[in-house]
Amino acid sequence: MKGAVKPKVLGIIIAIIVVVAIIGIAAYYFTTLPAPSPTPTPTSPTPTPTPTPSPTPTPSPTPTPSPTPTPIPTPRPLVKIIFASTQLAPAAEQAFMRGLLTSLLHEKNIQVEFVPLGYTDMAAKLEAEITARAVTVSVIGGLATEIDYFASKGWLEDLAKFGVLPERTFVDTALRVVDEHKRLYGITSFVPWMTATFVIVVNNEAFKYLPEGLTREDVIMGTEKWTWDMLVTWARNIYEKTGEKRAGIPAGAGGLLHRLLHGYLYVSYTGYQSKYFNSPEAIGMWNMLRELWKYCHPESTTWAAMADPLLRGDVWIAWDHTARIIAAVKAYPDMFTVVPVPRGPVSRGYIIVLAGLAIPKGAPNQDVAWELIEFLTRPEIQARIAENVGFFPVVKEATPVIVDPGVKKISEGVGAQLATIDGKPVFIPMLGGKAGDFVAIYREAFERIVLKGEDISAVLAELEPSLKAIFAELGIPEP
Amino acid sequence: MRKIWIYIVVVFISLWILVPIVYTIIASFADIRDYYTSLIPRKYTLKYYEEYWRLGVGSALLRSIQVGLLTITLSFLIGIPAGYSIGRLKFRGRDVIKVTILFFRVLPIVIMAVPLAVLFIKIGLYDTLIGVALTHTAIALPFVVLITSSIFISIPRELEEAGVVFGLSSLQVFTKITLPLAAPGLSAAAMFAFLISWNEVVAATILSYLNRTLPAMVLTPYVMGTGGELPDPYKFAAATIMIAPALVFMAYIRKYLTAMWGAAGVR
Amino acid sequence: MVLSVNFKLRVFSPYILILPTLIYVAFFTGYPIVYAINLALTGSTPALLQVITSPRLREVLLYTTMIIVSVIPIQLAVAIFTSLFFINRFKGRELVLYLFILPLAISEVAAALLWYTMLSSRGFLNKLLLELGVISRPIYFFGYEFRDRTLLAIVLTEIWRATAIVFVIIYAGIQMINREYLEAADIFGFNFWQKLRYVILPLLKPSIQTALIIRTLFAFQIVGPILILGGEYVRVMATEVVYWYSMRMNPYMASAWAVLIGCIVLVLGSIYIKLIKPVEV
Repeated sequence: MKGAVKPKVLGIIIAIIVVVAIIGIAAYYFTTLPAPSPTPTPTSPTPTPTPTPSPTPTPSPTPTPSPTPTPIPTPRPLVKIIFASTQLAPAAEQAFMRGLLTSLLHEKNIQVEFVPLGYTDMAAKLEAEITARAVTVSVIGGLATEIDYFASKGWLEDLAKFGVLPERTFVDTALRVVDEHKRLYGITSFVPWMTATFVIVVNNEAFKYLPEGLTREDVIMGTEKWTWDMLVTWARNIYEKTGEKRAGIPAGAGGLLHRLLHGYLYVSYTGYQSKYFNSPEAIGMWNMLRELWKYCHPESTTWAAMADPLLRGDVWIAWDHTARIIAAVKAYPDMFTVVPVPRGPVSRGYIIVLAGLAIPKGAPNQDVAWELIEFLTRPEIQARIAENVGFFPVVKEATPVIVDPGVKKISEGVGAQLATIDGKPVFIPMLGGKAGDFVAIYREAFERIVLKGEDISAVLAELEPSLKAIFAELGIPEP
Repeated sequence: MRKIWIYIVVVFISLWILVPIVYTIIASFADIRDYYTSLIPRKYTLKYYEEYWRLGVGSALLRSIQVGLLTITLSFLIGIPAGYSIGRLKFRGRDVIKVTILFFRVLPIVIMAVPLAVLFIKIGLYDTLIGVALTHTAIALPFVVLITSSIFISIPRELEEAGVVFGLSSLQVFTKITLPLAAPGLSAAAMFAFLISWNEVVAATILSYLNRTLPAMVLTPYVMGTGGELPDPYKFAAATIMIAPALVFMAYIRKYLTAMWGAAGVR
Repeated sequence: MVLSVNFKLRVFSPYILILPTLIYVAFFTGYPIVYAINLALTGSTPALLQVITSPRLREVLLYTTMIIVSVIPIQLAVAIFTSLFFINRFKGRELVLYLFILPLAISEVAAALLWYTMLSSRGFLNKLLLELGVISRPIYFFGYEFRDRTLLAIVLTEIWRATAIVFVIIYAGIQMINREYLEAADIFGFNFWQKLRYVILPLLKPSIQTALIIRTLFAFQIVGPILILGGEYVRVMATEVVYWYSMRMNPYMASAWAVLIGCIVLVLGSIYIKLIKPVEV
């Protein structure tokens, strides 16, 4: 380029930029025009070949108590719907779901396309589809907290219009969450689907190094002797005797460390998840965690799931979600024991994770979608799910006969945890769009206190206002 | 003496490239516990590949190829004229335009993909191969333009002018003289465009979900997913699945490439 | 010289040839860019301002700079020297060439998985060294304590994977250097380094410019390897975009970081273009 930029050139460049800007702004407004009228969608099956009269006469779960949904007498044409889920994404679980859904195909001629999606993808997709008013997903499966976010954005249908599902009673804990959503958003946003929790998995080798005062039975039954401090002592014992740090927590990106913090440790030490974020008891907890970290495998900060480290033998005592350790326990059930989590001075806090099924606003084939939901919450199907994937039924009538030794171990451990007398189950708080900020605060606390070694009270005092602000803004009591 | 050095370098390069690839391929077939304990695993299994196959890896592969070819075609059709213009013709504002074209590629794809998804849904391109190919073309275009422009710059003008002297029209000069000379660079550009499309995972994931390309299908449970990440053996299998077709593709391109390089390099 | 065509066409034809590209790119990427800038500037404290004043900025810029400053010069040097190496004729040259550019076909995520296999505590390197008895406990490359080694792993992965990109461009450029210049240099008695400095490098300028621009552009957007190998504790600008977008569900901050990346890359790109003037043959 010889010499300075001539004015004519400058003019051309500016013109191009202006044109781009205009195109950009125009396209932006073009695609985000608000809907002029409420969409009368519930029974408009446009894309798929559903004969319009069928939604009513078929035995859809209406309030009239009909016998358990039996196969339809008259064959109906094939209906295809899309079921997007953030749960059951790993290959083995996906394969299981597809197998499961073929039974629905044979029974009701409903072909369900099971599509696992990451949470962010699902949110982006729902937003895109709903804004463009061209929804393709009929059913979404996700965690109650994820559904919480979608409901807070107004992306879900009110499921109350479909009536009650017959011949099944949902467990109270699940119904409590549904009610909470109703209170927050005014609609029945989801139907409970499955439940899970976080547990401790122990490599049987570790039992050789139990410290004084703690027996194997204490650990397995979750007695009052099985405390977090004892866990630290145990890990230290292993370290001193073998020279290896064998405790492990999923502190990596995508790991659920924050659940450990707010749902387990805080509840065990202060009785609440957030209310006493900065308190002497909390400081005691962080001290314990610091001590524990000394005996945690250093690669913990890279792990999102504990199945691999357990399989490798790198970790002998692991805390994680049942779905994230199931691969290890299923592969070598004799190597591991699944046990309840330890307790703190105040209680034995643990989280009940709830997954649910919802229908996006304006989804196609909503009656068929409801039939899928009915299918997935049937006692027999709930049992089959429990027998295979490390999630547990939300329906009381389900009596899974667990045959797989790995799954059996998990269900025994979970059962023991649920049965502990001092157990205090909590739910992950429903925070809508603020969930990310909530999580970030706990993770930042961990990084600064445990990893960087900053002063505990100073960090807690600094972070506490942001935490309180979240609840204040949402107008809910601190959990 | 010189020969020995050459061969040392050759061995080094070969090991450097091959060991990670080969070892991962071996690992993907290995029984996982055996892999953890020994350097060269002795027990093998096809388990993980079976799972991926059942999940539809074959059709995803096909789709990726189709999208890649579409991307090459589109980006060449649109980009070569621009590359020639920038590289060959003197005109004012050339540098600034170069920067402007580049300017469009500065944002991470994740930010670009969501507004595009909304747009695509509106115009019916969502979840189609064309839609993904169009996006990939947009991603690849700046590079195609840049590469071809630097190639065209380096072609000696005398040869083109000789063509004009011999009575060829501008278009004939371009097709009979410039293009063949530029062929090595153009093949590099084609390879680029294909590979950008082939390996692109973010936009492909957001802009489709039933008709997924290979990386989107294989990596979704892993990237930004809930429900647990991919256990080790699936990582190895995923890496191998993604690499294998590319290895084959490169083998074909190699013959073409070296012929072109050889022909162009010898004066 | 030989300008027989209509004068007007001559003057405007460059612009006409470029127009399709500009329109296409403007449409597909201009619109999201405007969208993103819009997002980045919303809020009572615009997100962009929040980013610039946040305490994380220093750490993020540090990591980003470290990675880029390590990776790019090394790749450029390796590419130039290997290009020169491959000019030699030897048996099996084609095969080795193919091997060397093989990583081109490998996506950044797949490459990261490969090097994870190599460097993890139960990976190739550790198992090899343990078998050979060189070490008795594995060397950890990944983990918060080992962040420096993780950086090394990331740089290594990037060099392994992406040098081929730079190489391809430079090698094509070297192919086009007229042999006569080199022969002339030989006649004048230039040694290798003089040839490099006075003949090869100047003639390579367009290729170097292209390669640098492309490589830098990509380098700022590396996300896959950093997330896979470094988790959330190695923070660069591109991972911040992903973090804010998917973990914090905050597209405003994500866009702000993206816009920041955009500005920096623009500046760097302009510098490259101004500084490295192609020499017309």
